Amino acid sequence: MKALYKKELMQLLNSPVGFSVPIAFALFLGYLFTKDVFVIGSASMKPFFSVAPWLLFILIPALSMRSISEEKKTNTMEVLLTLPISESHIVFAKLVSIFILIIITLGITLSIPLVLGFLAKLYLPELIVGYVGLLLLSLSFLSFSLYISSKVSNQIASFSLSVIILFLITTLSSDFLANILPKEAQDILLFASPILHLDNFAKGIIDLRSVLYFAIFTSVFYFLTVKELQKRT
Amino acid sequence: MIELRKVTKKFGIKEAISSLSFTVKEGEIIGFVGPNGAGKTTTMRLITGLLKPTSGSVRLFDLEPIENRLIVLPRLGYLPENNPLPLDMTVKEYLKYISTVKKEPSLEKIINELNIDDVYEKKIEQLSRGYRQRVGLAAALCGKPDVLLLDEPTSGLDPIEQDVIKDLIKKLAKKRSVIFSTHILSEIEDVATRVLIINHGTLLFDGLKPKGKGSVDTLFKKLIKKS
Repeated sequence: MKALYKKELMQLLNSPVGFSVPIAFALFLGYLFTKDVFVIGSASMKPFFSVAPWLLFILIPALSMRSISEEKKTNTMEVLLTLPISESHIVFAKLVSIFILIIITLGITLSIPLVLGFLAKLYLPELIVGYVGLLLLSLSFLSFSLYISSKVSNQIASFSLSVIILFLITTLSSDFLANILPKEAQDILLFASPILHLDNFAKGIIDLRSVLYFAIFTSVFYFLTVKELQKRT
Repeated sequence: MIELRKVTKKFGIKEAISSLSFTVKEGEIIGFVGPNGAGKTTTMRLITGLLKPTSGSVRLFDLEPIENRLIVLPRLGYLPENNPLPLDMTVKEYLKYISTVKKEPSLEKIINELNIDDVYEKKIEQLSRGYRQRVGLAAALCGKPDVLLLDEPTSGLDPIEQDVIKDLIKKLAKKRSVIFSTHILSEIEDVATRVLIINHGTLLFDGLKPKGKGSVDTLFKKLIKKS
């Protein structure tokens, strides 16, 4: 199946979105973060981990919008589904190839703590755990965006739907909702919010509940995407 | 090798295929002919397992193709209608990928057989329709399939390219069973050994190709008029 992974990654890197979006993401995130460092005068990675998810829910749908919807639209999915490859392999290859690009993108942002390290002493385990959290969050968002891409055959619709829904999921933990909802509903929504789980990682805490949350989130949408490809009408 | 028994396929309330039955034996070259919208592509998709019949059964190599897709697909070569190809890849990248997935050890032989060596390094989007069709055929041939399903392989090609593809189909059919769909009747006369005529999802004729120039044309027009 190496050929399939290679093809997916190559197609992604050859597309304009594949190289421009990650660079734009890293530059924009770097700008937002550096601006904060100089305005507030604090050399900490905490603002970085609170801004990053808000950009990830745009980056990830942008990278995954073409993935399945475009194959459906151009009918290349018909060729793919008549090759001796299981549907789970097809989805896994798409997931892995985009995830590799996300790792590269987040890798570029490592220049930020590297520079910050000259200004102040950074606590390395906290930084590593924070990045692990970002990767887990990315994987969940990616799995979800792939599912949306498998449901629609228009890449713009796929992107818009993913961004809107991920925005709603991300804002589950917002102060606005916390103020208007009853306590019980707040607790449930807070647990469902990926931001809350990322916060633990940003503090350098590996909470098993959060790891489980991201694992379940990713697996559910991966499974649903495979089911979508297995559907024969 | 292929068996369709009383297959009906509905899309909503529209019946695309109506109680279709036929079998394909080893070594046959079947011309599947019918006007546009007759149900040719739907039949092809039912055989490949891309569609599920509403009723009836489809068997490919004695197996149900959807449940056993990983067993039957290595033995099947398929060229879909309009030949969808990843335009951003080069011919080399695409065929290497397909040949690896389908475990084809002698890709060079296929490339030579289909005369695509001169465009091998080019991007698929730069190719003419004729060359794209050859690339699609090369992909379908990878893995030495026992059955080739070609959905309108000459559609949109100029007469010279059509002749090239027809000659290729004849050459390829020596080693395997071929079903090719078309609405160009002269192709049937030139290539097929057996003819299936379909209209409005119903099989109108299943038999050996009638002899004589223009005989398929006469038969087809007569049957279509009647239906």
